[in-house]
Amino acid sequence: MTEAVAGAQGRRAAGWTLPVMGALAAAAGLAFLASLLVGPSGIGIHLDSDAGRLILVEIRLPRAILGALIGGALGLSGAVLQGYLRNPLAEPGLLGISGGGALGAVIAIHSGAAGAFVLALPAGGLLGAALAAMAVMLLAGERSGPLTLILAGVAISSLAGALTTLALNLSPNPFASVEMLFWLLGSLTDRSLTHVWLAGPLIILGGALLLTTGRALDALTLGEEAAQNLGVDLKVLRARIVAGTALAVGAATAVSGTIGFVGLVVPHLLRPLVGHEPRRLLPASGFGGAALVLAADVTLRLFAPMSEVRLGVVTALIGAPFFLWLVIKTRRELGP
Amino acid sequence: MLGLAAVLAAGLGAGVALADAPQRIVSLTVCTDQLLLDLVERQRIAALSYLAVDPTLSAKVEEARGLKGVRGMAEEVLALEPDLVIAQEYSTTASVDMLRRLGFRVVLVPLATDFEGMRHAVRLIAEAVGEKARGESIIAAFDERLAAARPQGPQRPRALAYQVNSLASGPGSLVDAALVAAGFHNMARDRALGPGGRLPLEEIVADPPDLLVLANSPEEFRSTVGDNLRHPAFAHMVSQLPHMQLSMPLWLCATPRIADAIDELGAKRRALLSAGARHD
Repeated sequence: MTEAVAGAQGRRAAGWTLPVMGALAAAAGLAFLASLLVGPSGIGIHLDSDAGRLILVEIRLPRAILGALIGGALGLSGAVLQGYLRNPLAEPGLLGISGGGALGAVIAIHSGAAGAFVLALPAGGLLGAALAAMAVMLLAGERSGPLTLILAGVAISSLAGALTTLALNLSPNPFASVEMLFWLLGSLTDRSLTHVWLAGPLIILGGALLLTTGRALDALTLGEEAAQNLGVDLKVLRARIVAGTALAVGAATAVSGTIGFVGLVVPHLLRPLVGHEPRRLLPASGFGGAALVLAADVTLRLFAPMSEVRLGVVTALIGAPFFLWLVIKTRRELGP
Repeated sequence: MLGLAAVLAAGLGAGVALADAPQRIVSLTVCTDQLLLDLVERQRIAALSYLAVDPTLSAKVEEARGLKGVRGMAEEVLALEPDLVIAQEYSTTASVDMLRRLGFRVVLVPLATDFEGMRHAVRLIAEAVGEKARGESIIAAFDERLAAARPQGPQRPRALAYQVNSLASGPGSLVDAALVAAGFHNMARDRALGPGGRLPLEEIVADPPDLLVLANSPEEFRSTVGDNLRHPAFAHMVSQLPHMQLSMPLWLCATPRIADAIDELGAKRRALLSAGARHD
């Protein structure tokens, strides 16, 4: 009965896919433009002066590009993980994959590797994220319930957070506490085109890899055995998801720190609009994530340009109330 | 007869003061370390803070070398059996409370953010260690240098001290006091920034100062906090603007060394003004 209703809802929603996708892409595009227009030195673009050009090209453009790419990576990987683990709580932040990426990046910077060899920074983020993703999947196993998965995720993200803090404490760095904020709460402040070149290609590569999993995830909604009968190789699927998440989230975290809640909230927000089938949800979540992170970053610069408010704080402020609403709604539907 | 009594009394007083003067002094912060080194002989210092020998923070690394360094925990201080502990307000407060409860003599020096605060800190420590005269002569020497550095002419070029983590110190900071004393207008004041104010890179690019004062090279810290100074837009600006490096140990703490910072800034101001005059 419920499955039939869900199926009908899914079909009904499916008709909206193209317009919704178009609207999401437009929203992301608008947020991108707003990100170019808004900044602490004033609203607008001034191409008539050197300073104006420098501000647009060197300061605002990299920030907007990274916001779009990182938001897209987080939204997309959230949708993929929720589909693969068939768990509504799955998300790179909650599962410790972002935390692993941050730890890898911190080690790359503080060991001096990133200073000696620029690619060490995204490589460290990638490696940390990959290890965390593999650890979560091994700990939680294929047939685990939501509880095991979340417990494994909590353990790994706490461990990654603790090791990140420890690495910063042990480094000869008088700004360790400030830097902890960066890695644990995320920021796009003062990111430059260098960071775009470091992280951008890897995020795009990982995102493309994740987008190819849509069909297999569709089949997986019918159950593992049914998916295997439909020709889905679960081992290959898992390898693609680990690699794609590690590339996209690891590279994103290496230049922006951990930005939470995007991967969790965006797929939930879009499911009622595009339906439950991952194939449609994945690209929609990518656009949605990009729009959300860009909008949060623009909000931050509009209302608190001088302060130390971090991007992760704004996404959590938007994300946490929504998440609570989701919990309450689910409880009502399922009964007490 | 009366004269003899006075001499005797004075002699006795001096003897008492000498016996009373602490001989095993421990300082717990990098700022009080440097003031203490100015005021007493090395043999009277039982320990300094571990940061006293850090060249990125302390201006007295050579003098501090060889002395014991502590992190400010009550236990390690206790083991040294000090007869005077000098700490700073808002720093290692739990340890200070415990040391006081255990009956140690603790002098708490307020955090100085201007010259008057620095004079007060010198007097406070000088009195506690029984070196009042030495303290007064240090202050007099500083005041003399400050007067000598007084800027000539009405021009006040706009300067901005910009550090890692986008810090641009406004009024209520030593950097601001030094900039004003050297004859600059601190641009952080236009933005109503406080002592620990932050200025987005974009605003500096949009409205650049006449002089950019830099403290640390970002390469001193393997850290993301220096990313604002590594930014290509900032590098471009530094290549176009007059700028100078002002070593952090000179102005991190309120010590008489701030006079060195004022001298360096004053020299830069004179160079800027004469270059400007040549252009006109």
